[in-house]
Amino acid sequence: MRKIVAGLVMSLAVLGAWGAEMRSRGVSTAPILIDVYSDFQCPACKVLHENTLGQLAYDYADKGKVYLVHHEFPLPMHAHAMEAACYACAASRVGKYQQVSDVLFHSQEIWAANGKVDETVCSILTPGEAKKVRALVKDPAIAAEVQKDIQAGKTAQINQTPTMILTYRGKQYRIPGANYDILRRFIDQLLAN
Amino acid sequence: MRYFLIVLRVALGVVFLYAAYMKLREPWLMFAMSIDAYQILPEWAALTLGRILPWLELALGLLLATGFGLRYSAASASIMLAGFFAVMVRAYVMGMKIDCACFGLGDVIGPRTLVRDGVLLVLSVGLTILAMRNGRGFETSQV
Repeated sequence: MRKIVAGLVMSLAVLGAWGAEMRSRGVSTAPILIDVYSDFQCPACKVLHENTLGQLAYDYADKGKVYLVHHEFPLPMHAHAMEAACYACAASRVGKYQQVSDVLFHSQEIWAANGKVDETVCSILTPGEAKKVRALVKDPAIAAEVQKDIQAGKTAQINQTPTMILTYRGKQYRIPGANYDILRRFIDQLLAN
Repeated sequence: MRYFLIVLRVALGVVFLYAAYMKLREPWLMFAMSIDAYQILPEWAALTLGRILPWLELALGLLLATGFGLRYSAASASIMLAGFFAVMVRAYVMGMKIDCACFGLGDVIGPRTLVRDGVLLVLSVGLTILAMRNGRGFETSQV
């Protein structure tokens, strides 16, 4: 019995790590790790996604300097945030996390008002991918993956979205804003050290 | 009244010293980013303020704690706190979920931070009025 429980825990841990990897950008050996906790229905997260993260991924993650890991942190006050997070996680299993994140943030005001998350997500997927994603969303493993991210956020004492936590040489910095120019200066300063 | 004034200026001095310490222990660019998050100042001003504000707070804290030039330091502290309070109220009213960056990072603007800074402002204005009445200038305060 103990072996079964241990195996189950191990499987969940591997699944969680794999899930996070599917929602990351860059290489895990990069000198800087940035964990992003965000909520698809939060307007400030949309600003961070559109003004900062894309550029950060292009300038640093794609060049092996930063490992960017996205964590879902849907807030209870946002009616459709959990559903959107589940769809994004499901999309990550078909390799479309980035595209689904883009469309969810881009059309945030629309689906937040009418609740049509499924329609928004599937609008950028092929019929085959949409079918897979719709099936995956019903899989309890997807909800568990989102819950794991929420729990990780609570452990990290996340009290607002978006929150970026930068880790460099074991030291953590909670990034307080979304200004890409200042963040870039900070990252360059760390890398120069 | 004399002892009340001493307690008040030392307490405010310690608050300023603590605020400065909490900012100086973090990279200054983090504080600059907190200032920028208020979306009031241009980037160059946020960067400049991020560098100098913690040192100004340190200097004010020392002046308040020692009582040197109390009228001027108390008035400066009041102006500074009034400025902080105004921008925090603005951010709160606008629904901005940002760090107040008052005592380092991780303190989101909300009713608690507004009450705290409001109380500090009232105390500082009170200290300024009392110091003005006492007529203390740049000599070391005896109160």
